[in-house]
Amino acid sequence: MFSNLINSLVVISIVFIFLFSLLLVFKWLLFSSQWGVVTQNLPLYAFGVFPVDQRWRPCLWLLILAFLSIVTIFKPRWSWFGKVLPIAWVGVIPLGVGLLSGGLGLLPVESRHWGGFTLTILLMSCSALLAFPLGIMFAIGRQSKLPLIKYFSALYIDALRAVPLISILFFGQLLIPLFLPLGVEINRVSRAVISFTLFVAAYIAEDIRGGWQAIPNSQLEASKALGLSQAQTIRFIILPQALTIALPALTNQAIGLLQNTSLMSILGLVELLGISRSILANPVFIGRYIEVYVWLAGIYWVICTVMALLLRQLEEKVSIQRRIRKNV
Amino acid sequence: MKMRKGLWIQVLVLALVFSLILVLVNNISTNLIRSGLGFDFGWLNRTAGFALAEHVLPYSSSDNYAWALLIGWLNSLKVIFASLIMATLIGFFVGILSAGRNTLLRFLASLYVTFIRQIPLLLQLLFWYFVGFLSIQGNLIGPFKGILNISNQGIVILGINLSAEFSALLIGLSVYSGAYISEIVRGGIQSVSRGQWEAFRSLGLAENIGLIKVIMPQALPAILPGLTSQYLNLAKNSTLAIAVGYSDIYAISDTIITQTGRAIEGFILLLISFFFLNIIISNCMELLNNRLLSYQKH
Repeated sequence: MFSNLINSLVVISIVFIFLFSLLLVFKWLLFSSQWGVVTQNLPLYAFGVFPVDQRWRPCLWLLILAFLSIVTIFKPRWSWFGKVLPIAWVGVIPLGVGLLSGGLGLLPVESRHWGGFTLTILLMSCSALLAFPLGIMFAIGRQSKLPLIKYFSALYIDALRAVPLISILFFGQLLIPLFLPLGVEINRVSRAVISFTLFVAAYIAEDIRGGWQAIPNSQLEASKALGLSQAQTIRFIILPQALTIALPALTNQAIGLLQNTSLMSILGLVELLGISRSILANPVFIGRYIEVYVWLAGIYWVICTVMALLLRQLEEKVSIQRRIRKNV
Repeated sequence: MKMRKGLWIQVLVLALVFSLILVLVNNISTNLIRSGLGFDFGWLNRTAGFALAEHVLPYSSSDNYAWALLIGWLNSLKVIFASLIMATLIGFFVGILSAGRNTLLRFLASLYVTFIRQIPLLLQLLFWYFVGFLSIQGNLIGPFKGILNISNQGIVILGINLSAEFSALLIGLSVYSGAYISEIVRGGIQSVSRGQWEAFRSLGLAENIGLIKVIMPQALPAILPGLTSQYLNLAKNSTLAIAVGYSDIYAISDTIITQTGRAIEGFILLLISFFFLNIIISNCMELLNNRLLSYQKH
């Protein structure tokens, strides 16, 4: 009886707090919110300080990405479509870099003018694309029978997983120029991409290792019995299965990477959060924190959800392929 | 034959790694000589010259850099320890709710978890700091003045004064990590077989007591490893303190590097301090794990 009383009290108070905060939110939405800080700055949130007459380029890239996402999620039944899609997804990332930086007849735009949502997506996609093969490499290295390679890979993975991301990013900005020979310079965006890549690769390697260890030993024995070489075993037996098992974890990594690009706002890049902070510093919009943060939370929430949906498609596709292979 | 092939690959990799390191070290030494900095830790003894709003041990701006770093490390430890406890409380509370039978509470718990996990931690911290604390006018809680005082200066509770920066960081980190911990707790509870629930119910134990005495001891071995990695994540995430102006180890390293230009030495010191933080956390959890195991055996 007594515990029931406490239980009901807890339930009632939680529900009360929830309803009360809901009421506060509605009151704020109806009476005190002013969305000018969002609506008047939409191009800034999307493209940052990209030159106004060149804005069609990031815009085009975002539209292509949106198109690809839509066709991936809703999968129309075109026969050529399944083969082209992965190539399109990989190809769209260098395309974005090309569109933003210019050249080949387009007006070159320096990377310090890149910003906003476009830069967030660019940082995320470039780092993911580069970190994936690197992560696979380190995962293979860590499982290697050669002690030296195993030791190096383990050292790298453990060292990078022990330090906070912000320090990697900060020292990436400071130290990468120092490590380069005299006269060679790379811009802040590339430095950020390199730092993210090095960091995320360690986590990807660890996730793949988890998948690797879940493969039943009989698979290895079977491949040995078939007379496959070690490289062939890794390429055809282990990696496909390890990656499939690790895919949910890798999805989380990708979403985490997207959220972590916001750290670059502390280090002077005007990606989505960075441009919002400079908008908030504008005296016209002073004190409009809640509107901006709610707006940003909404954007991040939508993008994370879209990414989760996209990667679930991949998961489904991979598992279907496995099933087909099993039946054959 | 196979043995020799492996050996050659290793020699090749070793040569590659070493030549890469050599090139990098060569580049960095020419760059350092050019900038006139060199590599030494003598600057640690120089006067820091910056004030710190928060310090556990006595500190003034005439103290040296080494002492400032130690203060920063202790500040980090303070906020990590406090948010670790709060995150655990939130995580277990929400985790138990989301493994429970009440549909409404389950729904609210899953709402909290999905909402928190889809939004970057940095944004959440900024929200707690700028919206949660800095925009408060006067005292938030009128009737409890003297016991609990929440204002844009921070929280005063029973004479203990927590700054706005510390409080924002504490709440932000706890709410964020709490969401992750609750998922681990939920998984742990659900890994205990349904039969155990039915068994204690048929023994006539109350739901709460059965949860604490029967289910939790069996769920904990599944929870602890995940909890450890969440604690390590929390420690790493605490470096976002710089965004709300709390002077933790990373924020102070950042200031010192800006002042002295000693990026490499600063990086090495930061690595070492995180090495110690990680060791403290994982050893404590190891201890807890062993205690739990030995307790269960008896």
